[in-house]
Amino acid sequence: MPMYRCMIPKGSLNYSQRSEIATAFTDVHCGISNAPRNFVHVQFFEIDEGTSVQDSHGAGDLKFDTPFFIAGGNRAGRPPEVRSQILDGLVNRFCEIASVPKSDVSGYISEAPASWSMEDGQILPEPGQEPAEWYAHDAVAD
Amino acid sequence: MIRFQCTVQEGYVPLELRGGLANSIEDCCLTVLGSSQGPVTVNWIEIPKGFGFRGGQPSSTSQVRGQIPDGCNPDTRALLLKKIGEEWCAITGAGQDELIVSARDESWAG
Repeated sequence: MPMYRCMIPKGSLNYSQRSEIATAFTDVHCGISNAPRNFVHVQFFEIDEGTSVQDSHGAGDLKFDTPFFIAGGNRAGRPPEVRSQILDGLVNRFCEIASVPKSDVSGYISEAPASWSMEDGQILPEPGQEPAEWYAHDAVAD
Repeated sequence: MIRFQCTVQEGYVPLELRGGLANSIEDCCLTVLGSSQGPVTVNWIEIPKGFGFRGGQPSSTSQVRGQIPDGCNPDTRALLLKKIGEEWCAITGAGQDELIVSARDESWAG
């Protein structure tokens, strides 16, 4: 975590744009949350119009009515305004890089307790309770 | 009903390993949560090269995300995540730093 899944029309973004968006999303998330950059995951799914897409846990379909959709998943525990700030930042950067109007992009960030996830062999800490060694994760190569 | 979805990066988890991985996830679930909590289903999504990133760089990280019956206590859930992680790394040869495992409550709406 965090995880940002971008649903995009087939062929709408080239590699350079996808890479730039992934970096921009990392900047947005880490700029607001102070999370290690290496923990930010961004994936792109090219979909045909009308195709359903399963949520990140395979438990139902994502619903959206814009050509582009950002489905985020973060640790719970941050104030709602922080979640909104992150989503606004993601949408703004996405629109800039993809050169699409904001009306074509929607998104939603779901949250779940940190203790429901394990990364790098460790159960995730709650937001604000990260130990100092948490930030060593930025040194992990991927 | 337990469902897991494995999202892997193209080129990192060969097809021939996936049956064994699915079996190990099922075994972990039934061992830790109890056989009455089954059945367990596992499906796969492969992210093509150039479509998955971590920290802004191309990613090799796999994600094993599932939903389990409500009411699991924290220690049991943590044990489940760790056992799945250990099995995954043993079978694939991946490091723990290339894996995310999560298990949310079945009724969780986020």
